[in-house]
Amino acid sequence: MKIDMEKLKKIVGEQYVSDNIADLYVYASDASVHQAMPSAIVRPKTIEEVQNIMKYANKNKIPVIPRGAGSGTSGHTVPIDGGIVMDLKQMNRILEIRPEDMLVRVEPGVVDDDLNRALRPYGLFYPPAPASSRIATIGGEIAANASGVRSVKYGATRDYVLGMKVVLANGDLVNLGSNTRVHSSGYQIERLIVGSEGTLGIVVEATMGIRPLPKFRCLAVANFDKLEDAGNAISEIISSGSNPSMLELMDKIGIVAVNKALDLGLTEVGAIVLFEADGNVKEAVDFEIEKMKKICEKHNGTDIKMSYDLAERTKIFSGRKKLFAALSRYKEGIICTDLADDMGVPNSKIAETAEKIHEIAERNNVIMAVYGHCGSGVIHTKIMLDPNKKSQWKDAERVIDELYDYIHSVGGVTSAEHGIGLSKAPAWKKARGDMIPIMRNIKKALDPNNILNPHKIMDAPDDWVRATNLRYQVGA
Amino acid sequence: MPKIDFKRSKKWIKELNKCIRCGYCYELCPLFKSLNWESDTPRGKLLLIYGMINGEIKPTKDIVDKIFQCFYCKNCSDNCSAGVPVTDILTDARADLIEAGFEVEGTIVKIDEDLCSVCGVCISLCKYEALSIQEQNKEKGKVIVDKVECRGCGLCVAACPSGAITQKQGCEVTLPELHERASELLRENKEMKALVFICNWSLFPGMQLSESPTIVKTPYGVIVSMCSGRIAPELIFNALEEGAWGVMVAGCPPEECDHNGNYKARRRLVLLKNVLKELNIEPERVKIEWFSTGESAKLSKAIDDFVNKLEKLGPINMEVSKIIGG
Repeated sequence: MKIDMEKLKKIVGEQYVSDNIADLYVYASDASVHQAMPSAIVRPKTIEEVQNIMKYANKNKIPVIPRGAGSGTSGHTVPIDGGIVMDLKQMNRILEIRPEDMLVRVEPGVVDDDLNRALRPYGLFYPPAPASSRIATIGGEIAANASGVRSVKYGATRDYVLGMKVVLANGDLVNLGSNTRVHSSGYQIERLIVGSEGTLGIVVEATMGIRPLPKFRCLAVANFDKLEDAGNAISEIISSGSNPSMLELMDKIGIVAVNKALDLGLTEVGAIVLFEADGNVKEAVDFEIEKMKKICEKHNGTDIKMSYDLAERTKIFSGRKKLFAALSRYKEGIICTDLADDMGVPNSKIAETAEKIHEIAERNNVIMAVYGHCGSGVIHTKIMLDPNKKSQWKDAERVIDELYDYIHSVGGVTSAEHGIGLSKAPAWKKARGDMIPIMRNIKKALDPNNILNPHKIMDAPDDWVRATNLRYQVGA
Repeated sequence: MPKIDFKRSKKWIKELNKCIRCGYCYELCPLFKSLNWESDTPRGKLLLIYGMINGEIKPTKDIVDKIFQCFYCKNCSDNCSAGVPVTDILTDARADLIEAGFEVEGTIVKIDEDLCSVCGVCISLCKYEALSIQEQNKEKGKVIVDKVECRGCGLCVAACPSGAITQKQGCEVTLPELHERASELLRENKEMKALVFICNWSLFPGMQLSESPTIVKTPYGVIVSMCSGRIAPELIFNALEEGAWGVMVAGCPPEECDHNGNYKARRRLVLLKNVLKELNIEPERVKIEWFSTGESAKLSKAIDDFVNKLEKLGPINMEVSKIIGG
């Protein structure tokens, strides 16, 4: 694809544009299994620069793929048609903290943990916190409608978006939303941008709600011999009206993996459940924890430990925080791939789904860990396989087909918090065909030349394995 | 282009597969924080090595330069949840590229033969044995750099009495860059009392990826250097002359420094304090203290105490110090 590098250099400055192979190759992939080369990388610093890049790209019909940390797991930022990757990490200023209005104004490249570090002295926090919060940018979190361990109480990114400035495909800048907690003033277009994976516009500034930090947090962990019991305990905690600020599941495969990778010495039981309560009144937190503890015990949960102490809580949680990467260490010769990794299911289906995942994996010669923010219905898995064997990718294809058929049959969703991108598109399209024409019309209205992150979600190829090169060297 | 078979790097292919490319290593990489290209992250380097091994990309000057840009702080390999030995893989890739005859620069030190007196000071302090004297003729040898072993720690740069050793600028760690950064901080914030040089190895969590300049204004400025051993006396003098009321150096505790740079910093600061006395500047305006990884609370308290002390001392009266110092 012909890109006028001189033009881009003029817009952002010579040192912020690259078409050398070292950069192109690195920006060709993210944390997914996909890989496709862009034609140029550009790193704007201002809204005006973003606008000028879009004007140039729109005029010349060049795809533009906005990118934050590149930690997405479904291939959202993989430039399937080439074009310009727009790295927004340099727009990383926290513009305003307004405790009196309980909001912050940030540029899209601000890192989640950094925002929380800046908010802590005010006694405030920004709750969505995906596991990748140490590098994930607010722009990327908006694009994926990210959420994390605290979503069970605090919700997802969408629940914090108040307003935003967005550069459209033609370079126009629009102001969306409000500075208020609620608004009923026209279409909620800012909400439409949430989860749009960079296909509708480029978020160049976001106004996000924040919350007071609770005075007390108590984290507990319970062991279960049977995965099914752990799943049932979680379902009952939710349906009993408890108010956990975290409710996590981790199966034996996960426990073994973190023990191997991080030497944590966890007891290798069938599953563990982590549950946390927070609040400003200690008795209220005690009450919630005690209630959840009793439910765990009713479902054969044992060896329950709990702590209010930050150091102790961090220790209890460390295995879960690093589980995703640690899964690569589960067994020699197999690695962890980001496929079918974040289904959402109704609360009553958690135990059944967890069991089903293990059953499907076993039948198809792959290993799958089950973990996740099950309190919000999010079930994470990873498909662990030998990436160099062609037959293993066939196995993965079968697993994915079977698994999503099951998830959709129980009323679940394809992706709860990572987004559709490329690898989840075939399953999602199969389940949600009725949404596709509406989404295409919206896309066409906002991006008639189809230049913003094209061929993703509803327009992604129907075969994820062949949608792009796989990032692994696949042999015979 | 030299021919290359990557025989050392190839043995890491399984480990390269284990990298799930989560990118969590960005957070810890000082090089990424100064350069900001993803190709400068540990993940980026592993990708490039993987691509070269499997033939998807050929080693170009740009790629080779990226591979030779690393300070070996090992924050990435020590903290990788997938346990990928990033720096070991990098060293083997470097050895393969050097063997194939690639010209490299990166963060490797360079020696200006015209300035070098072959005194050997650098050789004795390099823990990695990356420097040695190559005999040329009976009268004169020359100091050469082993480009695979050089970790870019920069101790030799700070110690060379003739200023013959340099490192490429652009990674915010060379003396002129540290000086520029110090001046910039002092210019931007006239309220700043203390300048604090902290060691990347022990205290990286204090480094943030995002900026909030309009929001947080502290009476101190923090500059991350790659090792306390890099802090040359002229950096401290410059800071005092440009308006800092005092300078604190935070290094790794004795026995914990990878390069023994902390001892060198301490020795230098003792001498410097004596010179300060001669200049009629209170020696307690310069302080060195040790902090281990994870001791950011201790660091934060030490900085507050230091600032309080400086506030009692007040600004330096440069006129008096110049008269007395002659």
